[in-house]
Amino acid sequence: MKLLKIGISGVRGIVGDSITPKLVMDFAAAFGTRVRSRAVLVGRDTRISGPLLHAAGLAALLSTGCDVLDLGVCPTPILQYMVPRLKAGGGISITAGHNDIQWNALSFINQDGMALNPFQGAEVLDIYHLGKFKKVSTDRLGRVRDVALYADEYFDGLRAFFNSEAIAKARPKVVIDACNGAGAPFLEPMARALGFELIPVNHEPNGYFPHDPEPRPRNAQQVVAVIKAVGADVGFLLNSDVSRVSCVTETGESLSEEFTFPLVAAEYLKDRCGPVVANLSTSRMIEDVTRDRGCPLVRTKVGQSYAIQALVQEEGVLAGEGSGGVALAGFQPAFDGFATMGAILQTMAARGRTISRLVGELPRYHIVKEKIYCPPSKVHSVVSEVKKFFRRHEIDESDGIRIEDKSGWVHVRTSSTEPMIRIIAEDKVKNKARERLDEVSAFIRVLVQ
Amino acid sequence: MKRISSLKISISGVRGIVGDSLTPQLAGALAQAFGTYVGGGPVIIGRDARPSGQMILQAVTAGLLASGCQPVDVGICPIPSFLFLVKDSKSSGGISVTASHNPKEWNGLKFISRDGLYLTPHQVEEFLDIYHQGDFAYAGPDRLKALRSESQPVEPHLKKLLGHFNADLIRRRKFKVALDCCNGAGAMLAPRLLQELGCETVVINAVPDGSFAHQSEPLPENIREICRTVVKSRADIGFVQDADADRLAIVNDKGHPIGEELTLALAAQYTLGKKKGSVVCNLSTTRAIDDIAAAKKAPVFRTKIGEINVVEKVLSAEPAAVIAGEGNGGVILPEIHPCRDSFAGMGLILEYLAASGRTISALQKRVPRYIMIKDKIEGSAEEGYRLVGLLKKRYEGEGRISLLDGLKIDFSDHWIHVRPSNTEPIIRIISEARTGDKARAALRRLKKEIAELKKKI
Repeated sequence: MKLLKIGISGVRGIVGDSITPKLVMDFAAAFGTRVRSRAVLVGRDTRISGPLLHAAGLAALLSTGCDVLDLGVCPTPILQYMVPRLKAGGGISITAGHNDIQWNALSFINQDGMALNPFQGAEVLDIYHLGKFKKVSTDRLGRVRDVALYADEYFDGLRAFFNSEAIAKARPKVVIDACNGAGAPFLEPMARALGFELIPVNHEPNGYFPHDPEPRPRNAQQVVAVIKAVGADVGFLLNSDVSRVSCVTETGESLSEEFTFPLVAAEYLKDRCGPVVANLSTSRMIEDVTRDRGCPLVRTKVGQSYAIQALVQEEGVLAGEGSGGVALAGFQPAFDGFATMGAILQTMAARGRTISRLVGELPRYHIVKEKIYCPPSKVHSVVSEVKKFFRRHEIDESDGIRIEDKSGWVHVRTSSTEPMIRIIAEDKVKNKARERLDEVSAFIRVLVQ
Repeated sequence: MKRISSLKISISGVRGIVGDSLTPQLAGALAQAFGTYVGGGPVIIGRDARPSGQMILQAVTAGLLASGCQPVDVGICPIPSFLFLVKDSKSSGGISVTASHNPKEWNGLKFISRDGLYLTPHQVEEFLDIYHQGDFAYAGPDRLKALRSESQPVEPHLKKLLGHFNADLIRRRKFKVALDCCNGAGAMLAPRLLQELGCETVVINAVPDGSFAHQSEPLPENIREICRTVVKSRADIGFVQDADADRLAIVNDKGHPIGEELTLALAAQYTLGKKKGSVVCNLSTTRAIDDIAAAKKAPVFRTKIGEINVVEKVLSAEPAAVIAGEGNGGVILPEIHPCRDSFAGMGLILEYLAASGRTISALQKRVPRYIMIKDKIEGSAEEGYRLVGLLKKRYEGEGRISLLDGLKIDFSDHWIHVRPSNTEPIIRIISEARTGDKARAALRRLKKEIAELKKKI
């Protein structure tokens, strides 16, 4: 079985198995065809397979007549920020985000610097399936150009957006684990821009991931140890392209990635009330926070593409998901780990509170997650069968199966990145969350076998 | 006439038109097939100065990485230095992104074995089988190699050249040399080589930007600019390289092109005067080679047209070949590396000038003078081969006949050669004799015979 996911936001698979030069070239050529030979920004995270995808992507983009503005190793949110500022037709970020080292992916960015919306994504897919790529003659081939000083422009923007003086005055000690990913070379510029003291962990952008590049408690041991050793104020874990963040408190408690979004929202919405976007799998914490601030909450299907589309359509102020991705619309409509960290640091500085106190102000829920491997040929029918299990409930089918009652909810959906079924359950009471999950999980396991 | 296919996958590599048949997908798949064929390890990659080179090179990089090879990018690099580097660096092979003399909308790939030689026809067959079967090696992330680049790819070749020639002897003459690099890769090495040999240089068309200042074939009519430069700067000699720097044409101290056939003749004249051994050249190379070799009692081996055929014979010739090449200005100096090498050609000619103490126009006169006329007629390969059979009967008993490559007939004072082209629907015809009249007469008769025979087919 080959692991390959082709979707509206890009293509993701295992290098040497489903990710081949031809596949990458065909997708990049489809994207180049869609942007009609305008310039395209290309960046990548630090994965060993990055140069392979980069070379294949460049060749294909050039062949469709697109100039390539090559950012080299670059976090996705910085690439997104630069797309409109360089007046490019779009961007391709070569990264598999939180997936482990054997994966890689192309994720497509539109001319506004946002993840392609579902319609734009469908256009690229149509061109890919049709296989009719634009081909230009020698004289009209694209050229590769390097872009100088783009990080300066990004961090100048970040500094101006936040109350950097307040952060610099507090000068917090911040431990950040970039997981040897694309974030590593950009953390020092960020620390200079916002005025905090950086204590980096796994800071070599060499593509060897010391743990899965997924910001969540089980990967936080190193950060926890360093925080205790140096007496830092806060710790952050990043995924390989800095689109997701999870936090560790000054006491060494590694917080679930579900806390990142409500932590940002609680303070951010005080000054800028407006619609907030969360996906169906995101903790109810965000419902309580938005209700307290008097902001409407919009729930979407899971995936950055849907969240960002809703953010734009609803003229929202904030979008996020339980996996640690947060978009601050006022800065840029993209899941941006730098802006997420900036917002949390600003909250700590402005309110003079420790991160553990800020977390203490949030409502506590218990969220449990499980994934069940399932052959791609069965995965959708299995999820559909789950409806029978919930036949006495009102089912939300906008993304898989979701049922909800007063004290909690459970969500069953097919993963958009791997051949498996994700189950997420949440409840005020810890045991009840586990119960909700175990019931449906047992039902699904029987179906999968 | 049939339209020429825009894609050629043959024993001499792959050529196609960018924006049409030569896509990144094709180049990537070929590179991955080659990576599979060589079984991993470093593979030198480089390109000529064509504008599409960057795009194709990226595709080749991706294909090689995917197969688990380590691409070593040398950028724009002269072909002989590239071939030398593959061998010298003990790499698994090489891929050169070039379409030699095709117009600039073309590009292509040439595949090089670990010996630093173009793949032989048998090797190409093995490699193309892998490509056609599509059964490629795929390296997982744990076996992927990092891309490397080599910023000084010509150094090993330069060192070898300087070690081979009598540099002190050449330096003492303080030659003034006019050099035309044809805006090709030769500019990366030729000016340095000449400076190292103590020459004062006047260089034109030295920016390898792919603009091809003139057609990349270094034929006399393309050489007017360098002729003027030789006269104006009062140079001792003018050298003209082709775009990938494997061929060399010479302009004498009076500003006249000596004709590309004479490059190899002069090189052979000098080399055979110093060293015992054989000469290898193709069937269409000037008979002056035979005269020069006969005077030194050196055997001459004639091969089919195509560099690889000459090279294969060089590797097996007994007695060993001391000089080899083609009449198109491609000099092979086996002691440097068995490939056409314009730099080795320059070194030889300069050393000849220095050792003899004569001018190039004086040396030119010591080479037996022949006039060669080249022409072509329309006709498919199929038609060409039938003609060869019929012509053979027509000329039976008149001269020594060779069917090694088309039909070559050696008469006592001239020769003719008829050969269907591998790349275009034409039949090439060549004659050579001591005088232009004689050569023209031989060609006239040949064309008349062909015209009559064509009516019968």
